[in-house]
Amino acid sequence: MSRQLKFNIFRYNPQDPNSVPHTDSFWLDETPSLTLFIALNRLREEQDSSLNFDFACRMAICGSCGMVINGRPGLACRTLTSDLPGEITLMPLPVFKLVGDLAVDTGTWFRATNEKIESWIHTDQEFDPEALEERMENDLANSIFELERCIECGCCVASCGTANMRADFVGAFALNRVARFVMDPRDKRSDADYFEVVGTDQGIFGCMGLLACEDVCPRKIPLQDQLGILRRKMGFIGLKNLFRRKV
Amino acid sequence: MTTIDTAIYVKPPSRVSAYLDWLQMLTGAGLIAFMWSHMILVASVNLGVKVMNAIAWFFEATYMAQVGGPLIGATMLLHFVLAARKIPFTTSEQGAIWRHAKMLHHTDTWLWVIQAVTAMIILIMGSVHMWTVLTDLPITAQKSAARIQGGFWMVFYLILLPMIELHVGIGFYRIAVKWGFIRRAERKPFKRFENILTAVMILIGLITIIRFATLAI
Repeated sequence: MSRQLKFNIFRYNPQDPNSVPHTDSFWLDETPSLTLFIALNRLREEQDSSLNFDFACRMAICGSCGMVINGRPGLACRTLTSDLPGEITLMPLPVFKLVGDLAVDTGTWFRATNEKIESWIHTDQEFDPEALEERMENDLANSIFELERCIECGCCVASCGTANMRADFVGAFALNRVARFVMDPRDKRSDADYFEVVGTDQGIFGCMGLLACEDVCPRKIPLQDQLGILRRKMGFIGLKNLFRRKV
Repeated sequence: MTTIDTAIYVKPPSRVSAYLDWLQMLTGAGLIAFMWSHMILVASVNLGVKVMNAIAWFFEATYMAQVGGPLIGATMLLHFVLAARKIPFTTSEQGAIWRHAKMLHHTDTWLWVIQAVTAMIILIMGSVHMWTVLTDLPITAQKSAARIQGGFWMVFYLILLPMIELHVGIGFYRIAVKWGFIRRAERKPFKRFENILTAVMILIGLITIIRFATLAI
């Protein structure tokens, strides 16, 4: 009944001058409820201790174990082998800097992108630690939280045709992040401020609408809807300025 | 006094990307509307030679062919220039998107590759078609049939027809999802609708080509 799974895994250590990018194959007996996260740990423990991959939480919260699973970016920890064919090919996420084998450095990319889009609440209000937290309508809080669920795993960026072609494209992650601040009444940025950040060909107008981000997002964040709303919003801000003649 | 273009050193905020994206979408939407109307009008030959000739006569009597034709040509060129901002022209970009599409097994990504490839073919074949027709006005069913029956143009249109319908159909779907007219829940049924529409348009086109090929001149 139980299958023998064949794993084809990308291997390369950029630190080692003698290392050549290649594929290694491993075999493993499938057990009930086996996830790729468990499978990789077993491979490392039982077959090859040099196998390099990232993980931390094993429950789709930390976003560390993003990798390309049979061509599709996804999280190893929430992918059951029973949903996959007997031959499983694992590759590191493209776009990001390769650390080794399946491990990539998403942190540097996300840090730089967050800085580029100024991914924090802009306010001139002074913080009063004694004051009660400002109230917000429940519906609004929920819609902000819906977008806030992003775990920065990098799957949307790795699956993006534009990001793969053009290094300066900020990707669905950043556009979703801006959409979240646009919604937030505590962020005092004006429409023109947001336009300056994402109203460019590196921002929302660079998006070609291939929607792979929407299809691979492990958190099922409504990226298609958010990108559409943002494109229209930024488009109209641009037009409004055309008639008012000011930036 | 000489003034220095400060934008070389400090990039001021610019609205150009927004305008160009609007224009790309609007010229695209206009060309989609034109291409589908064009298909229906040419297909009028299936209802009878007289019907098509009457419609052709109307478009010339009102100068819509003489003025509208070149305008459509200009719109197509403008649309090409605008969309070319997104099309990979360098070999490194082409390699990147090709490897990416092969890796991902994702229909919408392949549809975009098809859109980019058909665009290049349409740019050339569409221009040839427009030049041929507009330099030989008036349009009549007999002249169209004679061209098709010559053989060369039959092959020409058998290639151009699916290129146009694919490009236009995919573009229609892409505009709808990109600009948020179609939401997450509606995407699947809408894509299905678009696929059927494209298939129907290709079918109408094929029937029309066969009609021209068998028309007694």
